[in-house]
Amino acid sequence: MKDEDIDDVLNEVACAPHDLKPELLQHIADSIKPSLRPARLLPPTWVMTGSLVLACATVSLAGAARAGFFGFAKMDLLDRSLIFPALVVLACVTGSAFVHEMIPGSLRRVSPGALLGFGNAALLGLFALLFRDFRTDHFFSIGIVCLVTGFVHAIPAALLAWLLLRRGFAVNSVSAGLVAGTLGGLAGVGMLELHCPNFQTAHVLVWHAAVVPLSGAAGALVAWTLRFLPGSGAQGRTNPG
Amino acid sequence: MRPDSNLEALMARYQQGDFAAATDLIERVSPQLNRFFVAQSVSRGDADDLLQETWLRIHKVRHTYRPGEPALPWFYAIARHIRVDHHRKSVRIAVGERKLDAMSQDVITAPAESGNADGLEALLAPLPASQREVIEMLKVAGMSLDEVARATSSTVGSVKQKVHRAYKKLRKTMSAGRFRKGQSGEIS
Repeated sequence: MKDEDIDDVLNEVACAPHDLKPELLQHIADSIKPSLRPARLLPPTWVMTGSLVLACATVSLAGAARAGFFGFAKMDLLDRSLIFPALVVLACVTGSAFVHEMIPGSLRRVSPGALLGFGNAALLGLFALLFRDFRTDHFFSIGIVCLVTGFVHAIPAALLAWLLLRRGFAVNSVSAGLVAGTLGGLAGVGMLELHCPNFQTAHVLVWHAAVVPLSGAAGALVAWTLRFLPGSGAQGRTNPG
Repeated sequence: MRPDSNLEALMARYQQGDFAAATDLIERVSPQLNRFFVAQSVSRGDADDLLQETWLRIHKVRHTYRPGEPALPWFYAIARHIRVDHHRKSVRIAVGERKLDAMSQDVITAPAESGNADGLEALLAPLPASQREVIEMLKVAGMSLDEVARATSSTVGSVKQKVHRAYKKLRKTMSAGRFRKGQSGEIS
């Protein structure tokens, strides 16, 4: 048996006439007719991605403005010029992935899981390169505070991202939740980098970087839980008009 | 084999509120979507219900289609979502029924017993659902690798891998003589 033989069999099946009743098709057409109006299309991808990045930046800056820009003040020029552009690039990539998750039939270049892994690896690499203080003073007591602070700022950023794309339609809500959580996590890390003056390597590598996977997992979990609520999910919030 | 050369144009007119374009789309895309559902081991009756549900969803989210993008992956992505939802509901119902009655049958296996199995379903039955849908889209609906990747929210590499595995399994099954071509294209 060759591949061509399988193709032949599948071609025969494909060419077989369908037995759909014309009444069924007419019924479908009649059911959509009363609500058929011109639809308000979604804005271009770059506009939506830009809005998401802006939302994340706003949450980070607002959080740091409230808590103080101590981390930013302590950083040297090299740290600033590497960390914040890297966060913006990661937010752009994640924002673009989120837009694609919310539009059916979009071409996916990287899976949400891989994106989360890549984002985290990039952050860890960058932090390991820049922060060379190997002390571990008050590792847990200060670290937990940073993790919670970052996560608390990831929540509004992820919710804002979801709100911005509420007119989209997540064909896989768990993937969309994972990406939204990752995006929120990046906003949380941004806030921590602006605010936290603790540059100990272990602290930054563990507690700051952990905000991204924690938020991603939380986003996926929330989306998965929402599947079980009747009338919930992206489809319940879409509005073509 | 694929009469979808101007599906994109029809879709754009449908988004503008053109009922004739909507009707044309329904007539042209429904047979493919129905075959997709049947290939996923959904019974004929359920496939008709899923088709109606798919069109209602398509109508609700028609604004998410981007003019100029391939329309078929967009339709299939939504149909796939509906099918997955249906499968989850079936599993939940089955679990509930099992709790009430240990003797109840698993509804997921019901299509095989319904007597509605056609050639495509029988041919693709040995494959897992993820490979079945890829083969149906690629070989029966005539979509490209890129379009299948879009419809299944995966990468082209992943689609190629699924096709390769599916063909390996189909070769094995067909060589074993489980399927033979009939005179009218029926697989027995």
